[in-house]
Amino acid sequence: MTALHDAGELHPAPGAARRNPTRAAPQPDSAAEPARPVVATPDDLDEQTLVVRAQEGDVRAFETLARRHQVALYRLAVRVLGNRADAEDALQDGLLDAWRRIGSFRGEASFSTWLYRIVTNRCLGLLRRTRPAVPVADPTEAGDVVGARSASPERQAELDAGMTALAAALTGLPHDQRVCFVLRELEGLGYAEIAEITGARETTVRGRIHRARKALAEVMRPWR
Amino acid sequence: MALTPDTGTPDTGTPDTGTPDTRTPYTRTPGAVEAHVPVEPLACGRDAAEVWDHTEAGTLDEHERDCPHCGAAAADARGLEAMVGRLAQEPLVPPATVVDRVVGAVLAELRPRDLIPLDSPHGPAALDAAAAAAVLRGVVDAMAGMRARSCRIARPSSSDGRPGPAEVAMTVTARFGVDLSSTTARVRQMVLAAGEQALGVPVARVDIEVVDVFLDEPGPAR
Repeated sequence: MTALHDAGELHPAPGAARRNPTRAAPQPDSAAEPARPVVATPDDLDEQTLVVRAQEGDVRAFETLARRHQVALYRLAVRVLGNRADAEDALQDGLLDAWRRIGSFRGEASFSTWLYRIVTNRCLGLLRRTRPAVPVADPTEAGDVVGARSASPERQAELDAGMTALAAALTGLPHDQRVCFVLRELEGLGYAEIAEITGARETTVRGRIHRARKALAEVMRPWR
Repeated sequence: MALTPDTGTPDTGTPDTGTPDTRTPYTRTPGAVEAHVPVEPLACGRDAAEVWDHTEAGTLDEHERDCPHCGAAAADARGLEAMVGRLAQEPLVPPATVVDRVVGAVLAELRPRDLIPLDSPHGPAALDAAAAAAVLRGVVDAMAGMRARSCRIARPSSSDGRPGPAEVAMTVTARFGVDLSSTTARVRQMVLAAGEQALGVPVARVDIEVVDVFLDEPGPAR
């Protein structure tokens, strides 16, 4: 065995020490640690730890991040693209982009904002390739995302029809308006974050959302 | 259906202050001075987009509640809100196969980026640094109260050109309340042993930096 020249240095970050005022009194480890599951799995880890690990090439850490965020990203893609098949493609390609570019994530935005941006760009790319600029709403395709429901009273049928109509009207909005509206009204994000995701100014985002709301309110008037 | 084309520039002529408004409309005080340009000024002077936000947030002020112009905007907002709320609640879950396919593609295109040379009597051999780091992180993760974050392993050449002992730099997070000096000493011992026994690489130096603390139930950082 090679001799150990240097046992290294121990330098807790100042922040960690500051936030841990109880460390002044050293105590035996056994007393400090009551019985609890010991081995940390990726699911136990905080987001920043997972991001750093993924940036250093840890595929399992990336997989955990992908599983944590996939539902929100998929929801966004389904609502923007109007159907599940394209949304799956956008999610899959977006996650692959995220892996390839994770080294460039610097933490200026939150990781979820960064992922939303990547998937949004994938969606817009798909829309540009596959749809006219202002597509005609296709009720059958929009209905695809509303999902099947069990037989129910008249009001339920009415609401289902309303939702189908709303989903169809969404696909009739210009792409930029649709993305901003979905992020705001269906994902519940703030204007500043939507501006970060779309790369548009906040005033532009506000304008797009307002125009989308007005157009949809007009279409949805019969269902009130 | 009549849909307005998006000009993308509702604020022509007004310079952007460049300062993002970090307040969400939900917490915005009604009537407060706004740092943005009105999207759709109403005859009463209010911004229809603001009234819409306030309606959704349930923060309409007295004027907005009484004014007929604001009232019309609020009625539109309420009319859409119920249906949008239902749409937002529709459960949409991607098939599990999506992430599986992504991980499969990631693994398929994985190429060793950094290699750690191994001492081998049978010719050149090397270890992928990412895999080696995963082994050392696993050692730390298995210790109570500690989790590895970054792990970088370097094996600089010694004076005779052969690979010298490895140097490991780790950042870790510690459970709130653990004794950092004794625990990090244990981390160092474990990493030294794992380098030797699991990786077959002598380790000369282990730098450990405690960068964060966590509470007992960390879960996803949200």
